[in-house]
Amino acid sequence: MTDSPNRGVSRRSFLASTGAVGALALAGCTEGPSSGGSGDGGGSSGDSGSSGLSGEINITGSSTVYPVATAVANRFQQEHSGIDISVSSTGSGGGFSNHFCVGNSDFNNASRPITEEEKQLCSDNDIEYHEVNVATDALTVIVNDENDWVDCMTPEQLRQIWRADGASNWSDVKSEWPDEPISRFGAADTSGTFDYFKEAILGEEANHTSNYEATEQDNLILQGVQSDQYGIGYFGFAYYQGNKSAVKALGIDNGSGCVKPSLETAKAGEYKPLSRPLFTYPRKSALAEEHIAEFARYYVEQSANSSLIADEIGYVPKTEEAMQEELDALNEVIDEAQ
Amino acid sequence: MATQTPTQETTEFGEVSRLKGIAFKYTSFAASIVGILALGVLLAYVFWDAFGLESAGTTWYLSYTVTLLVPLLAFFAYARTRPDVVAGAFELFSLTLGGVMLTVATVIVLSVIASPPVWFAYFLTVVGPAIGMYVYGQYNREATWVGLGILAAVVVGPVVGTLGLGTFSSLGAMLGAPGIYFLSLVLPGAGMAAFLAHDRLELSKRQSIGIGVGLPVLAIVGVPVVDMVPQIARSVWLIGLVMFGLPVGFTVVNTAQRRERWAAFAFPAIAILGFLLGEFVVGVVGATEPSPWLDWQYVTSGPSISNAAEAGLYPAIIGSVFLIVLVSVFTFVFGVGTAIYLEEYAPATGPLGTITRLVNVNISNLAGVPSVVYGLLGLGIFVNINAQLGPITYAGFGVGTVFTASLTLSLLILPIVVISAQEAIRSVPDSLRQASYGMGATRWQTIRNVVLPRSLPGILTGTILALGRAIGETAPLIMIGAATTKFSPPSGLFSKLTAMPMQIYAWAFQPSPDFRYGVVAAGVVTLLIVLLTMNSVAILVRNKYQQEAH
Repeated sequence: MTDSPNRGVSRRSFLASTGAVGALALAGCTEGPSSGGSGDGGGSSGDSGSSGLSGEINITGSSTVYPVATAVANRFQQEHSGIDISVSSTGSGGGFSNHFCVGNSDFNNASRPITEEEKQLCSDNDIEYHEVNVATDALTVIVNDENDWVDCMTPEQLRQIWRADGASNWSDVKSEWPDEPISRFGAADTSGTFDYFKEAILGEEANHTSNYEATEQDNLILQGVQSDQYGIGYFGFAYYQGNKSAVKALGIDNGSGCVKPSLETAKAGEYKPLSRPLFTYPRKSALAEEHIAEFARYYVEQSANSSLIADEIGYVPKTEEAMQEELDALNEVIDEAQ
Repeated sequence: MATQTPTQETTEFGEVSRLKGIAFKYTSFAASIVGILALGVLLAYVFWDAFGLESAGTTWYLSYTVTLLVPLLAFFAYARTRPDVVAGAFELFSLTLGGVMLTVATVIVLSVIASPPVWFAYFLTVVGPAIGMYVYGQYNREATWVGLGILAAVVVGPVVGTLGLGTFSSLGAMLGAPGIYFLSLVLPGAGMAAFLAHDRLELSKRQSIGIGVGLPVLAIVGVPVVDMVPQIARSVWLIGLVMFGLPVGFTVVNTAQRRERWAAFAFPAIAILGFLLGEFVVGVVGATEPSPWLDWQYVTSGPSISNAAEAGLYPAIIGSVFLIVLVSVFTFVFGVGTAIYLEEYAPATGPLGTITRLVNVNISNLAGVPSVVYGLLGLGIFVNINAQLGPITYAGFGVGTVFTASLTLSLLILPIVVISAQEAIRSVPDSLRQASYGMGATRWQTIRNVVLPRSLPGILTGTILALGRAIGETAPLIMIGAATTKFSPPSGLFSKLTAMPMQIYAWAFQPSPDFRYGVVAAGVVTLLIVLLTMNSVAILVRNKYQQEAH
């Protein structure tokens, strides 16, 4: 930029040479592209989908449902490459108030039913929605197979065991139980399982004990409880389902008798407080569009896919019948919208 | 102060205690060690995880130590006392690395984000005329209209290009992607090569023209060869030829021309041969190789939330690069413009001077505002707005779109860019300005020829730091509704995007340790590499001007 002007001569010759090169290359250029314009770099998935469906789909909402939505969206997009799905993990409430109820997203995931306030906000903005139950999140409390003193616990007893400064021996919880130290195996505090267990059992007042074997790996919890007669632990229901013979699952007595964890009790809402239904709320006006309706159907169909919901993500999938019911209801709404 | 320490004798030359000085020296030394060590350990940890080095066997480490590390160390020991060799090796290394980064950046920006026809449209309307006029201006020094002409091309060109996008891009589509790159990159590159050969490497005129002609010929001759390799598209070959071939060719010839630098060629030779030999030895011995999370699959495939081995960052990488390119354009134009006006033109005294001071104080305050606030600002003025002004309705730029996100991030870092640019402009001694005026230069000429060249390194440093902040931001993106996960890269200015920090943040909360240690670490390293790639251009320009200033 700050070249001195006395270089003009060299530049002139440089320009002359450039011109020559340019002319020559232009001549040569005709053969360059004509040999085929197919090779485009990048390796992106730009070509349109095989099914002909195309468009954007916006999903917001709960971080608990986020893995389900992402996995379903991933599979859907592999089948329909013309569709562009974005999934945002905004939290159930944040999704309703900032995105869904102002009409900026097509689906909102929620780990709880929509609240009255959110219903009000949505109706203020003329947003109609349909509620779809996509899976159930459940935790299972497990003890050693040789544990013969307890089959069922109340949430209060669980709280005594798992809260900070709680019971240290089994007999501290109930005097008939052995006077042996409790060895606890649980989720590390970075996991959603930890948050959920803390919220459901300990509530807001109590802290989770730090005197336990914290791990992210369900198999370590399983091994720990398996090898220790006085052990107790918790993890997602899906993992227990695959290891039913190794350990004993405790029932939860939440005032209406002992309820064992199972797909049926979790879905029926009897297994409380350690299970909660997960929802997604499609916007009715969005369902009028074919690609969004198709995705909604796919989402519901996948909610009974146990290899996806249970094995990959660790939630409780829906039964085929329940899924079919949900699908029929959805189809009715779609027919209405279209 | 000397009077504070009691002297033993009442002579004129008392002894001053050096205790404070020594204590201060070692305190600052300790502070720097703690800071640098902490950063170093963190980075080493992340790299260790991202490349899965833990899983490598001892024999793997042993093989590469023998074939690669020891020869390299021997080379360093040899070069230690020979500054020419060090300079040559450094040039070879940095230009090769720069060439690789430039190629990757160009492929991403031109080929993936802009798409060849769109690039062709803007090449015809903006880049081509601007370069043409610049070259003509260098050729014909008398043509004073050239500067204004370039400005006009830069300002009017994008408008013309956007209005005529359909026509121009269908024209480009007829040429095909390789043809577009041939016209827009290889031909200017050939001119550049001829110029460098003649002017910098001082080759004869005939050789220079030969190089200028040779590059396009090589480009065309190489096409059938490249077609045999399915991994390399023709476009990538043409881009790589210019962006990688030019700097590497330059440094190779430059090194070869100087006898005292010849030993520097040992560096790449050792590196390449050592690597190949290492591969061979590892294959023969059967050592356990590391299983890196950051591999080709990771940077080319979409995200997964349940399968760590399939997880990829491709849409987020493209989104982040798209974002950072726009942000750097916005902030550089608006930030440096503001700084120049405030420092050089704005009145410093009188009632208007008070306003200038007020603006300055407020810019400093804005630099400290948390990023979430900028996110809310962006949500307010670029998303949730519906303003009617006469016949024009402004309804924002859409939720979480590329344009909204880049404007929001530009606002976020604008104060930092303005302040650092102001600081850099202020550091140019006033005596230089006065001398320039004294020789009859106008204010514009003074700014153009004296102030900007001297302050550019400082301005670029500030911009680089600010861009580094922008590319790592998550909070404002969450506020404006950018997606956490997308499976395809943004297709245009007004399509939704996801950025690397958003996806990394989401992965960090996945229960599986494969995600939290492997995939997240690989994402962090990718983020760093992309940041360095984007900055390398600015760093090169900065170094060039820093050397000129000395």
